[in-house]
Amino acid sequence: MKYMILTFASQQQYQEMVGQPSEQPAWTQEDWAALGAFMQAFNRELLDSGELVETRGLSAPVHTRRVQFKEGVPVVTDGPYAEAEEVLAGYWVVECDSFDRATEITARLASCPGPERLRVRAYADVRPIDEHQPDFEG
Amino acid sequence: MIAAETEDLLRRLAPQVLGAVVRRYGNFDLAEDATQEALLAASMQWPQDGLPGNPRAWLITVASRRLTDLLRSEQARRQREDTVARWALTERGAPRPDAPPAGDDGDTLVLLLLCCHPSLSPASQIALTLRAVGGLSTAEIARALLGSEQTVTRRITRAKQAIKDSGVPFALPAPAELEGRLNAVLRVLYLIFNEGYASTAGTALIRVGLAQEAIRLARTLYAARPDDSEVAALLALMLLIHARHRARTAPDGSLIPMAEQDRSLWDRDGIDEGIALVTAALPRGPIGPYQLQAAIAAVHDEAENPEATDWRQIAALYDVLLRLDDNPVVALNHAVAVSMVAGPRAGLELVQRLGADARINADRRFHAVRGQLLEMAGDRTTALEAYRAAARVATNLQQQHYLNQQITRLQAPPGTAPHGQDLPDPG
Repeated sequence: MKYMILTFASQQQYQEMVGQPSEQPAWTQEDWAALGAFMQAFNRELLDSGELVETRGLSAPVHTRRVQFKEGVPVVTDGPYAEAEEVLAGYWVVECDSFDRATEITARLASCPGPERLRVRAYADVRPIDEHQPDFEG
Repeated sequence: MIAAETEDLLRRLAPQVLGAVVRRYGNFDLAEDATQEALLAASMQWPQDGLPGNPRAWLITVASRRLTDLLRSEQARRQREDTVARWALTERGAPRPDAPPAGDDGDTLVLLLLCCHPSLSPASQIALTLRAVGGLSTAEIARALLGSEQTVTRRITRAKQAIKDSGVPFALPAPAELEGRLNAVLRVLYLIFNEGYASTAGTALIRVGLAQEAIRLARTLYAARPDDSEVAALLALMLLIHARHRARTAPDGSLIPMAEQDRSLWDRDGIDEGIALVTAALPRGPIGPYQLQAAIAAVHDEAENPEATDWRQIAALYDVLLRLDDNPVVALNHAVAVSMVAGPRAGLELVQRLGADARINADRRFHAVRGQLLEMAGDRTTALEAYRAAARVATNLQQQHYLNQQITRLQAPPGTAPHGQDLPDPG
């Protein structure tokens, strides 16, 4: 079965992470380096176990374009999110034996380094991917 | 024989076997599937049963048998659909499975040209080349491209369908067409190489395999076209850039600019081979963009430290490259090289001219180079503005982080922060 693990961050958190202060001070060089090293190891392990299908990180929310369909006409808005709104930041697709195993993988993100204020309230979601396994048709 | 050796041998034989089978039966589409199945059978049997006397003939025989099955079921399906069966199950004659592999390099070239056919999308060209010439399985390609297996399968299927529909024969194109088609192959191989360096969060260290695969493919092409200067130069360029890969990424995955790299980590053998290739290619001519890029990479690689870089030569090479290829990124690199020779003001003048070029004037690289040259010229205020503009448009987190570091450094009172050498990496 395949599962998607999703992580979330706001524009403010993105900015602080890449070294630009906003509401909170910018991340230190050490925090940033630790995050990179953690992600390298996390991905390497999933790749080696054969469970990683794919993973992507998303650019900062400010680069989002929203396409709305107003009476069938597409209208494009740049940067539709509020600064503090937490939105999708990245995802992994993993293929593993059970939901519990996917949850276990997700739980390892708890040791992801970062400033303490973020670590105490960070979260990630894991969701089964909607895949149709054809029933036996004789 | 251990599995790794088997795999290496199979990957080398893959294009030869496919070439022989296509020559015999036509049907590139099904021949490619049949070859994949023969490779899979060999990868399971050989490590257990030992290597057959003639591995190549073994693979061709197994692939031919499988193809015959595929053609039969295709024929049956078509008959069921009341369509005239087009496939003839007769052999076309040569070559026999045990024939000497004399035309293999030629076959591989024809295969490469077919896989990089201009009617295919770049994504399809890449996937098909990796499979049909590189001998990678769909799962391996998906892993290398960080994509899903279904997507890769679909791209390959579409590409093969497009080739079938176009009716391109399995043969070298006419001489007048060959150069253009070869350029397409060079472009695809360089795309594969660069894809190996593209990364998303936390995957920088994972993708080295794809760059190595591109080098392997470039070697294959070089074996088939040893006298083509641009082919030799592409291989040289890849070797010269890849030689720096261990110094290029910090343990945390962040990129280290060339000027700050630990050059003792550069791979001497790769550099030597690259320099030898480009040195031999340049006098042969005619001059082309890959020779110039390889020459620039060679000048960088030859310098024992950043200060020893022969910027005069690099500026001259960029100048020629710019005349061949009116590319704004080349123009930016040229401006940096000029500033290293004639000072930041001379470089800034060139950058300023690009300010009217809509292809680059909103690009992160334009602002970043401007910031760097303005800083070199001592104009901190305007440099800060330029770095801020670059950070605003950067979409890559590593690059944003790098630019924010420059901003922080410039905002600090003079003398409190060390002045780094923040040259972009033109390699």
